[in-house]
Amino acid sequence: MAWNRTEIPGPVESGEVVISLRDVSKRYSREAPAVSHANLEVHEGEFVFITGETGSGKSTLLKIIMHQLVPTDGTVNVLGYNLNKIRHTKIPKFRRNLGVVFQDFRLLKDRNVYENVAFAQRIIQVPGEQIRRNVTDALDMVGLADKYKRQVTQLSGGEQQRVAIARALVNKPFILLADEPTGNLDAETAWDIMQLIERINTQYGTTVIVVTHDRSIVDRMNKRVIEMKQGEIIRDDPARTEEEYDEYYEDENAYQDVDSDGYDYEN
Amino acid sequence: MTMRISTFFYTLWQGIRNIFRNKGYSAASIATISASLFLFGLFFSVIDNISYMVHNAEQGVAVTVFFDDGTTTEEINQLKIALEERPEVKQVVYVSADDAWAEFSKEYLGDYADGFTENPLAGDDNLEIYLNDVSKQGELVNYLEKLDNVREVNRSEITADTLTGVNRLLAYMSGFIIAILIIVSIFLISNTVATGITSHKDEINIMKYIGATDFFVRAPYVIEGMIIGLVGALIPLGFTYFFYNRVVGMIADRFSMLSNILKFMPAADVFRYLIPIMIALGVGIGFLGSTLTIRKHLHV
Ligand SMILES: Nc1ncnc2c1ncn2[C@@H]1O[C@H](COP(=O)(O)OP(=O)(O)OP(=O)(O)O)[C@@H](O)[C@H]1O
Ligand SMILES: [Mg+2]
Repeated sequence: MAWNRTEIPGPVESGEVVISLRDVSKRYSREAPAVSHANLEVHEGEFVFITGETGSGKSTLLKIIMHQLVPTDGTVNVLGYNLNKIRHTKIPKFRRNLGVVFQDFRLLKDRNVYENVAFAQRIIQVPGEQIRRNVTDALDMVGLADKYKRQVTQLSGGEQQRVAIARALVNKPFILLADEPTGNLDAETAWDIMQLIERINTQYGTTVIVVTHDRSIVDRMNKRVIEMKQGEIIRDDPARTEEEYDEYYEDENAYQDVDSDGYDYEN
Repeated sequence: MTMRISTFFYTLWQGIRNIFRNKGYSAASIATISASLFLFGLFFSVIDNISYMVHNAEQGVAVTVFFDDGTTTEEINQLKIALEERPEVKQVVYVSADDAWAEFSKEYLGDYADGFTENPLAGDDNLEIYLNDVSKQGELVNYLEKLDNVREVNRSEITADTLTGVNRLLAYMSGFIIAILIIVSIFLISNTVATGITSHKDEINIMKYIGATDFFVRAPYVIEGMIIGLVGALIPLGFTYFFYNRVVGMIADRFSMLSNILKFMPAADVFRYLIPIMIALGVGIGFLGSTLTIRKHLHV
């Protein structure tokens, strides 16, 4: 795929700050805030997990980043856009820098695989000939090139999520936001999807934020982990260094089962 | 707003899809618009024809001036020239007593005219004055009655006034009915589009977070409304066109004794205006209905 940015091999923390939240709070009602005094900086090319118990504010945080919600307090800056002040007419332009993936896929059920991915290109008015090329590339990336004519309702959950990822990718976003992308999938498929997202991060240098409940995946992937509880960010651990990572797996026996499934997570 | 050709066709296609995804409502909207525009077409044709007949009748409306005995032909001719100078006067015709008798006897007496050896209208030379503007008739009559040699002024006002009155009443009545029907149509289209928007909530949300502009999200719904309006105009147009000549022919047959009043407009003249007006109305109703709904339901 013709990415016009330099490919960054693996996680990088020294890139420019692309997401910055300062003292951000969001209240839906008079009750306890869904997000409370969150501070967060994400650098270009980073891969970040957000975890936490249900209702802790993970989705709300993601919605603030994609400007689906406006925070009650605090400032939000994404890719140089001040989301507190962004003009309504600028929102589409801003969103075109983001790719979004959800737990429930959110595909257009009355269209086939190709049309679902092409949809994202049509919306941003890419010329017809380019659409074909870009959609083919995106479907190649997610491994669905041969099923482009299928109705999405005839795909497995994992395949549907791949289509959704292809749709998020096809416009070549700077940031990929995924809210529980593996929540509806069995462990094996979940792992495949997570590997795909990691490959997008490493191959294209796309900044990735993944919200997930799945501790086993988080533990296996050695990424920066942010944990939320009752709206607050209570933990923000950077990815472990090589030594820490090895040490961790020497001590850890809990994942022997998964290992024996034949996954080679070092690749 | 610049738009690619491919985007235009895509948007158009989405609008058409919306109509088919929402068949029941679309059909109901098209039916109402068709009904209202059919009535519109009907009233339009009738009013147009009455205006046409009024206009024709006005052409025939004349003021006739009779003169005192002993008025010379010279004097009558002078008045004729003076009257022709007046702006509301279209034409003045000098009718000599012999002309008048000849016409009268031909029209009413036929063969019995032979029984008269002398002209009973002798000395009844008169002027027939045809007007550009019938509303000025009263004024003209006043003026004529004050003239010295004038014995009598006859006017024939009834036909024109009656027809104009009927026409006005019909226009008000039809305007009222059509206005109500148009409001109902707008309401129905609005509902149709609202249903479409509700059933596509997910799709609209996806479009929004992918970065569709307001215009791109809204356009298919506006197009949906406009196509419904267009179809709703074409159906009654076809209907009216098909029946116009038949109905006109039938009326002319049935009331053949009124054939000098019942002069109908040729279909081409009626439809030259009716086609663009009805299409504009239909598309306008569709546009308005969908735009109102989008304002209310589609917060992009
Ligand atoms: N639209 C809303 N209106 C009112 N309250 C809401 C709304 N959305 C979320 N909340 C509340 O805000 C809090 C945080 O919700 P959020 O969806 O961000 O949690 P989450 O961490 O994503 O949970 P989960 O893991 O179950 O998806 C919860 O208490 C939730 O009930
Ligand atoms: Mg959530």
